[in-house]
Amino acid sequence: MDTIVQQLINGLSLGSVYALIAVGYSLVYSILLFSNFAHGGFLVIGGYICYFVLRSMEMSIWVAAFAALFGAGVSAVLVEKLAYRPIRERTPITLYMLIASMGMSIVIENIFVVTIGGRFRALPPVFPSGLVDFMGVATINQSDLLSLATAIVFLVALQLFLSKTKWGLAIRAASYNLRVAGLMGVNVNRLISIVFFVAGLLAAVGGIFLSVKYTLYPQLGAMITTKAFVAAVIGGLGSLPGAVIGSLILGLAEMLAAGFISSQFRDLIVFALLIITLIVRPTGLFGKSVGEKV
Amino acid sequence: MKKMLVLLTLLSIFAAGAAFAADPIKVGYLAALTGDYAVYGQTEVNASKMAIDEINAKGGLLGRQIELVVYDTKTRNEDAVNAVRRMIENDKVVAILGANSSGINIATGPIVNRGQVPQIATLATNPNVTVDAKGNVLPYSFRICFTDPYQGALAAELAANTLGKKKGAVLYNVGSDYAQGFREFFVKNYEAAGGEVVADEGFRESDVDFRAQLTKIKNSGADVMLLPGMGKDMALAIKQAHDLGMTDLTIIGGDGYGAFMNEIAGDAMKGTYWINHTYLEDPGMAPVFENYKRVYKDDAKEFVNITMAYDLTYWLADAITRAGKAEGPAIAKALTETKGLKLNHATLAIDPKTNNPLNKAGVILKVGDDLEAKFFEKVEPK
Repeated sequence: MDTIVQQLINGLSLGSVYALIAVGYSLVYSILLFSNFAHGGFLVIGGYICYFVLRSMEMSIWVAAFAALFGAGVSAVLVEKLAYRPIRERTPITLYMLIASMGMSIVIENIFVVTIGGRFRALPPVFPSGLVDFMGVATINQSDLLSLATAIVFLVALQLFLSKTKWGLAIRAASYNLRVAGLMGVNVNRLISIVFFVAGLLAAVGGIFLSVKYTLYPQLGAMITTKAFVAAVIGGLGSLPGAVIGSLILGLAEMLAAGFISSQFRDLIVFALLIITLIVRPTGLFGKSVGEKV
Repeated sequence: MKKMLVLLTLLSIFAAGAAFAADPIKVGYLAALTGDYAVYGQTEVNASKMAIDEINAKGGLLGRQIELVVYDTKTRNEDAVNAVRRMIENDKVVAILGANSSGINIATGPIVNRGQVPQIATLATNPNVTVDAKGNVLPYSFRICFTDPYQGALAAELAANTLGKKKGAVLYNVGSDYAQGFREFFVKNYEAAGGEVVADEGFRESDVDFRAQLTKIKNSGADVMLLPGMGKDMALAIKQAHDLGMTDLTIIGGDGYGAFMNEIAGDAMKGTYWINHTYLEDPGMAPVFENYKRVYKDDAKEFVNITMAYDLTYWLADAITRAGKAEGPAIAKALTETKGLKLNHATLAIDPKTNNPLNKAGVILKVGDDLEAKFFEKVEPK
């Protein structure tokens, strides 16, 4: 019993981190219909900004986190302007943007490797890291609780932004049909910039918590984004609730498979789950089954 | 006056050019300079360069200067294989130093043996680095470190006898040759010493979350855990074990230890044991560490890599001098015949049947309350 509770907590804590990243994937996908593999790079940018503001400038965590969120958001907008917009303006085929995003992800990772080096960096102890006893049957690190709470806050804020604001309405309209939204007078380029800014900002939130949890290094983005991408696909690419649910399912599946079946077979089981999901529901759990319109 | 200076400088460059007119001896260095373990690789290249600069300053070898050709493995076997091909075919190196991991050296073994260029590994401890699957020695593959059977035996001895912990757990990377070998020899020796392996858990290379496996280990009642891994995964496992409240568990790790693990795991590192090749307080290495700190303005934290790469370079220099010519086969022969060579961290002799160093002592380090890995005991092979 103790084990189940502990493994469930472990799974939720892992899933909540996946969720912050997966939501960014889904957000971009819902508008531009391609998977932005450079998303992991924004996470790393956020992590490093937070690290340097804390270490070199010795600012408070609030300043550092704000700088990280803003910086990652701006770099996401820049990446879109530099790498995706020229392609977007020339061809409607999203495959090219997908490939450009793979390139950008390698570029961002290597910029950090070359300029800062591959060393593992730990954020200064600005987050509480004590242990919380969970009804005597399990323990959980305070920073995990904090990351869970922060993830919820940001996901709710995102939901409010999308449902209550004018730009949120425009984004939702664009996710149905970008062209028609443009014809209705929405400034499409600005809309896309906003979407990338929000995605970058969420990635930075994930980046900060990931650096606290697993330390900061240039490849951090690459390793976590594969998982977050899988989670977004399980939930249905393009669907935000789907991304969150998919992430929690993936986190729990990983923990339970490793904990109760076999840690050696974990990835086999988890990816079999992905394939079964795709066979049964090709659009994922919450995906739109609109299909390509001719 | 200024003109005079320029003239003098030019003259001295000419003079130097004339003295060192012979082509330099090219030596390759294979290291992971990017990727997860870039710290180790960069340190090794620095230490080797330092040794080469010292040798060159004293006139080089056989009247020629040495030139180090460095290639990045990116911690990937396929990149390492390409790098070694380029070293042999384009750069015409006479010997290759590094890499520091078993997987890479096993992958490059066939190429250096076909190309007849000796390769010496720093910290590749898997037996198959220097012998093939049938147990025949690979004549161009060498190492300066002890091997996993010995490392596994040391860890088992420490766990079962010195510390008296008889219920063991292992958490290892299923994709690593090093981890597989280390684990296998630990389990064999641990069971022979009366220990019981109560949990045997695996993970994949890119994993960063081990709490599922650790929770299982916690419930297995293990009192000692072996981490036959690399710095990052071991540090994360130690931190997460601490988070799960596994404070009574004794943790023993291998030579993948690095001081940077403190940054990741913090106080959870206290009281952990590490099987290693050398120790920071080694009086033989003190001047080298001093030099390293001065030259690279670095705090010499990866002292094992410095030691191995530095001594390795001097071992090769000794072999080239004894061979009398800078050619792969002659150097390989001289390396195999190494006997009683006094290096900074050990006196080296090579077993011609396996190309492994004979009778290398193992060192056990224990992380103290100040998070420094201190000398715990030195174990001479039986």
